[in-house]
Amino acid sequence: MFDSQQLKCLRALLDVIIPEDDFPGAWEAGVGDYLRRQLAGDLAKLLPAYQTWLANLDDEARAVYGADFAGINPQQQAALLSRIEQGAVEAVWQIEPAPFFREIVEHCAEGYYSDPGNGGNRDGVAWRMIGFEVSG
Amino acid sequence: MKVAVSTRHSDYDAIVIGSGAGGGVAAAVLAEAGKSVLLLERGRDLSFEAVGRDHLRNQRMAVYGHNAGPDIDGNPRTLEADSFPIPVGEALGDLRLLRPHEPGYQNNAACVGSGTRVYAGQAWRFMPQDFRMASEYGVPEGSSLADWPIGYEDLLPYYEKVEWEIGICGDHRTMTHLPTYDKPYPMPALPLPHKSGIHKRGLEQLGWQWLRVPRLINSMPYNDRPGCINCQQCVGFACPADAKNGSHNTTVPRALRSGNCTLRAEVMAERLACSAGGRVIGVTIIDAAGQRQTLTADVVVLSCGAVETARLLLNSATLQEPSGIGNGGNQVGRNLQGHYYPGAAGLFPDVMFDGVGPGCSIATCQFNHGNDGIIGGGFLGDEDIVTPVTMWKRFYPPDAPRWGIEAKRFMRDNYRRINDVTGPVQEIPSPQARVSVNPKVKDKYGIPVVHLSGATHPETVRTAQFMHERAKEWLRASGAIKVWGRPPPRYLSGGQHQAGSCRMGEDPAISVVDPFCRVHSHDNLFIADGSPHVTNGGFNPVETIMALAWRTTENIVAKW
Repeated sequence: MFDSQQLKCLRALLDVIIPEDDFPGAWEAGVGDYLRRQLAGDLAKLLPAYQTWLANLDDEARAVYGADFAGINPQQQAALLSRIEQGAVEAVWQIEPAPFFREIVEHCAEGYYSDPGNGGNRDGVAWRMIGFEVSG
Repeated sequence: MKVAVSTRHSDYDAIVIGSGAGGGVAAAVLAEAGKSVLLLERGRDLSFEAVGRDHLRNQRMAVYGHNAGPDIDGNPRTLEADSFPIPVGEALGDLRLLRPHEPGYQNNAACVGSGTRVYAGQAWRFMPQDFRMASEYGVPEGSSLADWPIGYEDLLPYYEKVEWEIGICGDHRTMTHLPTYDKPYPMPALPLPHKSGIHKRGLEQLGWQWLRVPRLINSMPYNDRPGCINCQQCVGFACPADAKNGSHNTTVPRALRSGNCTLRAEVMAERLACSAGGRVIGVTIIDAAGQRQTLTADVVVLSCGAVETARLLLNSATLQEPSGIGNGGNQVGRNLQGHYYPGAAGLFPDVMFDGVGPGCSIATCQFNHGNDGIIGGGFLGDEDIVTPVTMWKRFYPPDAPRWGIEAKRFMRDNYRRINDVTGPVQEIPSPQARVSVNPKVKDKYGIPVVHLSGATHPETVRTAQFMHERAKEWLRASGAIKVWGRPPPRYLSGGQHQAGSCRMGEDPAISVVDPFCRVHSHDNLFIADGSPHVTNGGFNPVETIMALAWRTTENIVAKW
């Protein structure tokens, strides 16, 4: 589904969208698992767009900071995504950068905040964090 | 009216098509009267586990599918592109091709019990004024607003039957918008969650009427089933305690216990079967294995919901009725309506969440009627517990950060502090809001699918804007430090509150069924779902659907 470079980029990206603090970041909470399941199922049509967007994100990081996305520091990663969100990019993108970023953010939140049965929100950790207590 | 018994022997006395709110009542009343009944359901008989607890695929948050049918593949509908404010589904020429979980499809659950399997069970009587909207307000240009041919008093005994026999909890003393209840509810209201108490004080501060929301939920053990355990995943899901009262655990089991009813799930009604003279003699079905079969009965009751009942009539053309059964007046499928749901969300300084479900406990009927310059109105109520991902998608403030540590902190700090209030607006019907069939597109059974077109009358949008402002006022009075939300734009509504498509009336030229919900052109064909509703109240319609079905079916039995 993803090659090792894309996977490294995806992991770094998800952990900027939902970073680790005293609760796990997106990757540790299983959002990567959620996404892999969705991209093999309901979101299969988006897999090529994901692959292209991630490759372009690395291009953008190289153009601005001279290293791939996983290789720059978290402040640089966040600054880069803020500019991408505004559509202000340096590299040549094969896909409209801003709208697809919003989609990735949405998928990341779905994985993090929905029920653990979807593959993310491991052991209900996001629900413990926000105080959604489940009984019955 | 006399139901003529056919001269040849029928397979059943009655066939009821659809096992939701209306069909369950029809099957129970007929079977308990000693009639042999076949109850058909196109969906499956789902266990609690089969319905599941998927927060992205349920009847309330259907991002990638839903949990109570119909299956998302093989059951398409088409939609006029203008009927929805954004492109939905996929393009099919000028139209949109929709799957059941997609916006604009006007879905209602397809399983034994239909929507009652997964609903919130809000149990409202309509108000007396709701039955005479044209007399109260006049008829806006371009609308088909009309009075019902029956009134509140006609349904009252049946409202009481539903409250006692299916099981509704509430506090009749707070229902001050209605004539005094002679019989209280059989069960007290559910416990008041912390946030509902705060919203009650907000209403008191505004001087607006408040009431305890009546629900088709056991607040204590009733009818041999347990009371609610106040879980957090009620609306959109099945009940883990079997305390939510739907057709699947009340009327359908009653019908089956009588020994006179056969339930067949996973069976699709293709068309009504008619004699050479055009009289309805039963229904042609297709089962899960694809086998087609014609089953006969002296009486047929349609309870497929306002969209599918209209489709079945339109797909059943005969020589005598070439544009569809009951459609001589070109009325079948018109006036489709559901409910607009204006509301607003607010951020509160203190934690509102205490985990006591289901949640929607306080409402106001201050604005159902009597609003200056507005036609009708609706109630506003607080909300059932909102799942975290639903909070993110529906009630998250539009100006809050959506990614990065700030977004994570925002959810962490405020999930328990955000609350919304909302409620259904009585729609002003439009004859252009319409169910027809699209002969070019077939479902998995090969049956022409539903085509949806038109939109609600603009007056509905105006009322919704008015109610949106009231929702914001209420949130501020309850102490919200920030409120947000937008009133809904104009679109075609229906959904799980779908109604109106086979209007009840005295005049066959402008209605489909008579005041006892008999299709005008037939002596043995009846409708027991939301289709006959002339208007749909500013309330969740299920108690009215059940009460009307009860009245209709008692009348069938009485005249048999």
